[in-house]
Amino acid sequence: MTQAFVVFFGVLALGFAGLVLLLRQPMRAALALVAHMISLAAIYATLGVHVVALFQVLIYVGAVMVFMVYTIMLLDDRDASFKQPFSRLTLPAVVVAVALAVSLLGLLGGGPVEPPVPTAAAPADFGFMAFSLAFMKQYWFHFELATVLLLAGIVAAWTAIRESQDAA
Amino acid sequence: MSTYHFLVALAVLLFAIGLLGVMVRRNLLVVVMSLEIMVNAVVLSFVAAAAHTQTLHGAAMSFFIYVAVTCEIALAMALLVLLVRRRGSLDLAVEQELKG
Amino acid sequence: MTTTSLLTLLPLLPLFGFLINGLLGARLPRGVVGAVACGLPALAFVVTLLLFAQLTAGGAPLEAPLFTWAATTGFQLDAAFHFDAVTAVMCLVITGIGTLIHVYSIGYMADDEGYARYFAYLNLFLFFMLVLVLGSNLVVMFVGWEGVGLASYLLIGFWFKDAAKTAAGLKAFVVNRVGDTGFLLAAFLIQFHAGTLDFAAVNAFFTATPPSAATMTLIGVLLLIGACGKSAQIPLHVWLPDAMAGPTPVSALIHAATMVTAGVYLLARLNGLFLAAPDAMTIVAWLGGLTALVGAIMGVTQFNLKKVLAYSTMSQIGLMVMACGLGAFSVGMFHLYTHAFFKACLFLGAGAVLHALGGEEDMRRMGGLARRLPFTFGVFGLATLALCGLPPFAGFFSKDEILWMAWSAAGGSPWLWAVGSAASFLTAFYMFRAIFMTFFGSSRVSAEAAHHIHEPPLSMSAVLAVLAFGSVVAGFIGLPQFWREAFGVSAPFYDFLAPVLGHAAPREGVSHSAEWLLMLVAVGLALAGIGLAWLRYGRGAPVLAAEAEPPPGLLQPKGAQGDWFDAFYDGVLVRFVGWLSGSVLARGVEPALSAGSLSGPAAGARVLAAWFGRLQTGNLQAYVIYALLGLVLVLGWGVAHV
Repeated sequence: MTQAFVVFFGVLALGFAGLVLLLRQPMRAALALVAHMISLAAIYATLGVHVVALFQVLIYVGAVMVFMVYTIMLLDDRDASFKQPFSRLTLPAVVVAVALAVSLLGLLGGGPVEPPVPTAAAPADFGFMAFSLAFMKQYWFHFELATVLLLAGIVAAWTAIRESQDAA
Repeated sequence: MSTYHFLVALAVLLFAIGLLGVMVRRNLLVVVMSLEIMVNAVVLSFVAAAAHTQTLHGAAMSFFIYVAVTCEIALAMALLVLLVRRRGSLDLAVEQELKG
Repeated sequence: MTTTSLLTLLPLLPLFGFLINGLLGARLPRGVVGAVACGLPALAFVVTLLLFAQLTAGGAPLEAPLFTWAATTGFQLDAAFHFDAVTAVMCLVITGIGTLIHVYSIGYMADDEGYARYFAYLNLFLFFMLVLVLGSNLVVMFVGWEGVGLASYLLIGFWFKDAAKTAAGLKAFVVNRVGDTGFLLAAFLIQFHAGTLDFAAVNAFFTATPPSAATMTLIGVLLLIGACGKSAQIPLHVWLPDAMAGPTPVSALIHAATMVTAGVYLLARLNGLFLAAPDAMTIVAWLGGLTALVGAIMGVTQFNLKKVLAYSTMSQIGLMVMACGLGAFSVGMFHLYTHAFFKACLFLGAGAVLHALGGEEDMRRMGGLARRLPFTFGVFGLATLALCGLPPFAGFFSKDEILWMAWSAAGGSPWLWAVGSAASFLTAFYMFRAIFMTFFGSSRVSAEAAHHIHEPPLSMSAVLAVLAFGSVVAGFIGLPQFWREAFGVSAPFYDFLAPVLGHAAPREGVSHSAEWLLMLVAVGLALAGIGLAWLRYGRGAPVLAAEAEPPPGLLQPKGAQGDWFDAFYDGVLVRFVGWLSGSVLARGVEPALSAGSLSGPAAGARVLAAWFGRLQTGNLQAYVIYALLGLVLVLGWGVAHV
């Protein structure tokens, strides 16, 4: 049962990703991307990894994609790339991408690289509460480092804007 | 094939699609979106591992990926706006300064 | 000191001199340059004496293996030195007379701007010559062989600003090269048949199991060609007269005493091989005799004092080669040894005359110098008497023995004796012609040169005295058998060389009393030659105007200046090569070759570069594709191999 859901949502995610690639208007592509991310969240939920599904929707769709939509609204997208959305190098790019996929699949898809072995005695609890507790116990230091990264990001963004304001 | 293998294959395909988008689309915004697809594919593979082994390390890694992506998108958008203002166009195929 | 270290040190001493004077000489004061340049060969002479003492004490030849030069399956080449009796004689001559000539050069080259370079080259020559005679196999000898050719080229063209002199140096080098080809081909054949290039092994092999007679003759002739190139025998003699363009001490050292004798040394060294090739020996003997005669004929026609001596050298070496061809190798070596003394003395004496006259070499502008330069006249006269083979001077004993061998050895014949005797007669004639033209008669010296006539300085005159003394007494250690019996003494020189050099059997039916008779004939011929020269040139007869346009006759053969070989080489060989290069190679071969090897690849590289240049489009997405293409290749390799 789980498998059927996973396959269904997987195909859906694949389809929406393809739409992102093909749609001409950036806004529609962004919407396709949102749908793609929600399909992925559905997969995560089906697998029982609820906390990541939660994060996917809240952070990725809720913050990242909204931010992207803002940017699309700010910029004029009716320029040359609208009339000709695909570059001249499409064919070699397709070849390279297909080759990459094939070689990665050959390496990873059940081939010489062994899948990780289930080691845990009891199934892990991916609920928010349980996950948070376990996460903080093990990864509190990494968490703090990530905070620093965010701080650096804020400072960088602010500096970029200030620079552009000074230049303007 | 097990769920794990399916999900890994799915992640690879999504990664390839995202890559194709980066290489093929001329609109800068769509290129950034394709990058997001690639990151999502990576997260998918981590989550598949976490679900398969029933440990939470994969999930923890996903958490950190989200942090990085958030940071990245903020900066990327800011830079993108500035860049487009300077170049005047979103098109990647115009004459560029990266030429030798 | 051990034998090995002494033997290694021997050639290295002049090499150090070359390095010091060559690298630093321009910045050192002249006294230091001269001291280094003469001191090191003198030390080498001392080392040679020490080695000589060891040799005579021990009896067996001294060996010094240095290192294995090349080794593959079935072939090994060692760099090794070998010091036996023959080498000892050569080394003593080289270092002894070499040192004397170095000392002479201090005075002679005192005003030259290339002083340090000259001594550097001279030391380099000594190094290579010593390597040549010390080598225990053909390859080490060849290193020295080539090296002395190089040193000769450098020294002949020493005054390189004069194009004619550099051309002379080049001519010497090129003609030597032709001889070297013969040497190399012979070495290949020897290696092929004997499987080794070591002299002792080669001699033993060919003595015991010679291959077919034709092969032996071929090897012998090829070696003879090599010897001809280096020793200026016909037909490769054309470089020797031109080589007089170099400074006179160079002519004395290289073209009289040492380098030109390398060919004789080669023949003596491979005596075992030659004794097994009787046909080749006959050719060697007759070629030597012929060269002796032709050289003497040409010497009669020359007006340049040094060229007279050059042809004389060629002629005397012809006698040495003839002796080797007759199987009398030790006699050839003996003549080499005595010849070194008096020929060096003659050249250095000529140098003194040149020095006195400010560089004048043409005898038509000399004359009456005996009054102005008595000492020079004295040494020159003594050396000339030795050269003419008058008793009791050194040349008498050695030349007499050679002529006796020509008559009495198995490979000899009365005809060969006649050729040698004719050469000796002419030698006496033209040498005294030179003396009479230079030292006697009224002075034809130009006015400005006449003011500066002076006897040579001490560095030059001391050496001349020593060499003149040697010319007188050096012959007494190698008395011919006739004299040994008469006086009841032994010949230390021949005894010394006997264990090393083989000896051909004498001819049947030759009586020993003939030796006494032949000796008288030889002396008589020499005196006749001197007398004839006096008749023609000694009484101040006005011959020179007549000789400027020589009428054909007995005393002035046609083709004066001996140019016929040069004319042949130039007219036939040089022009053919010139035509080949200009018409065939330059027009036909070279454009195709350069198109294929130069302009073709260059154009290809340009095309490739242009094509690769087009990859840099400036398009970011293109670069992404390139990067990922590489990644795909790596992953693909992983899939295939992991």
